[in-house]
Amino acid sequence: MSRQSILVRSIAAAALLAAAACSDGTRSTGPEPTPVLRTAQAPDLGTLARTVPGFGGLFIDNGVPTVYLTDVTKRGAAERALGAFAQSRGFAPGDIRVLQGRYAYGDLDRWTQAVSYEAFDQGDVVFVDLDEAANRVLVGVDRGASHANVRSLAARLGVPAEALVVRETDPIVYATTLQDQVRPVVAGVQIHFGNFLCSIGFNAVSGGQNSFVTASHCTNKQGGVEGTQYFQSLSSQANSFIGTEVADPAYKRNLAPGCPKGKLCRFSDASRAAYAAGVPFTLGGIAQTSGPNNGSLTITGTFSITSEGNAVVGDVANKVGRTTGWTQGVVTNTCVNTGVSGTRIVQLCQTFVSAGVGGGDSGSDVFGQTGGSSVRLLGILWGGNQAGTQFVYSPITNVEQELGALTTF
Amino acid sequence: MLFTGSGAALCGAALLFPGTMTAAPQPPDTLRVTVAVSDSVRRGEAVLVTLRLTNTSDQRVTLYLTGRTITFDVVVAGSDGQVVWRRLDHVTTQQIVHVKALAPGETLEFRDRWRAAAPPGNYTVTGVIPTDREALRTAPAHLRIAP
Repeated sequence: MSRQSILVRSIAAAALLAAAACSDGTRSTGPEPTPVLRTAQAPDLGTLARTVPGFGGLFIDNGVPTVYLTDVTKRGAAERALGAFAQSRGFAPGDIRVLQGRYAYGDLDRWTQAVSYEAFDQGDVVFVDLDEAANRVLVGVDRGASHANVRSLAARLGVPAEALVVRETDPIVYATTLQDQVRPVVAGVQIHFGNFLCSIGFNAVSGGQNSFVTASHCTNKQGGVEGTQYFQSLSSQANSFIGTEVADPAYKRNLAPGCPKGKLCRFSDASRAAYAAGVPFTLGGIAQTSGPNNGSLTITGTFSITSEGNAVVGDVANKVGRTTGWTQGVVTNTCVNTGVSGTRIVQLCQTFVSAGVGGGDSGSDVFGQTGGSSVRLLGILWGGNQAGTQFVYSPITNVEQELGALTTF
Repeated sequence: MLFTGSGAALCGAALLFPGTMTAAPQPPDTLRVTVAVSDSVRRGEAVLVTLRLTNTSDQRVTLYLTGRTITFDVVVAGSDGQVVWRRLDHVTTQQIVHVKALAPGETLEFRDRWRAAAPPGNYTVTGVIPTDREALRTAPAHLRIAP
């Protein structure tokens, strides 16, 4: 799944950019501007357009106040209007740099508004800006999108071709985290049921049923199907219901081989929920953050499951979960019969990984990287130690042994 | 050390659960976390440890605690700071967030027992309640183990 598809494209943000054309938050097509830190001292550009003949834009070029004038002989008016501003930045009025402008600010503003009003209907437009550092109207479009459509529109609106710059750009997106509502649903994001929060392990198809897998203890009752209802990311959000528990085998005594005396056992702490009709999800998709072990919860991309497998001691394993994000470490123990604190449950043949974990990561995907964004699915995380430095997961073979065959990519 | 845990005991008045969840935990300065132990026990005796978590604000507080049964830890350290017992040492806990609402003035109480098998001397006992972010910690209580 592409980055765009899991992050919400910010048309609203683009519209704001267009409406606030004087507040250029984009890279300029002209000289490299220095960020204006003292905005309270910045003069109003509309006022400058009225008081300085031929004013075409103001920006800071490598620290130097710089203006476009269509008639550079009018620099005296610019020095009078901008003298105090220049002095507040350590420059005398005479130090203001004047560049030959081609278009008056008022014309650029009018063209920007006109283009903005219609351009967003075309679907590929990311932003529309009066680029005061270039003395042009700047339109940002998706990479690969047609420039001709924008140019045709501008021509129809009376914008001179030379006054328009069309630039391909990345989409502007909300910074979505693993704890936010994410559609299509991918692994690693938060789920909510009852009074508990967990993470999604992976999406799967079982017998034609669209599903996701999480931990068995991330159901209303660990072991046994009670029809737990899941929300992503919180039940209080609109349209957050995503599915219902449909598979969660019971824990049993004397489960051969190896269930300790008096204990209840399974080979995996895993359950399956069926997606509700119409909930979009990405088969094989795991949310990716900016890097392992850096604490970030912001989604920056997507891993893709391309295989399944088991780990051996010394392998590197990863997980992405709603509390500690992407963590990575070395497999330290395999096929460990593991008691669960505060219960009579023993999980048979589990795998230990020396990597970060926290409350809420239960149910997370565990995977190995195989190159690029491709990963091998290893299992479902369910436990950890007190220090949050070691996680425990159920191997994927154990999961499918108990939940049945799953199509995971 | 011999651990004779009775498990997490969750006491307190009837809890008010919200109809909807808040998206973030409340600031910890609205909470008081304390630990209580006997001043002195004889070596080998059981020490009752009681953690209390109280909402001291006049607003309902939603906590993101951990565990299906809420997880808590107890740390006993000698006067040199060396930890002699930790309740959650060498155990595997389920990594689930338990969303718990506390009404104004309401208290959650957690109890466990530790058999004081450490050498005679002065010790500190600290309670820890993990959350999905920073754990809530008590100020240390003092415990003397007599011969």
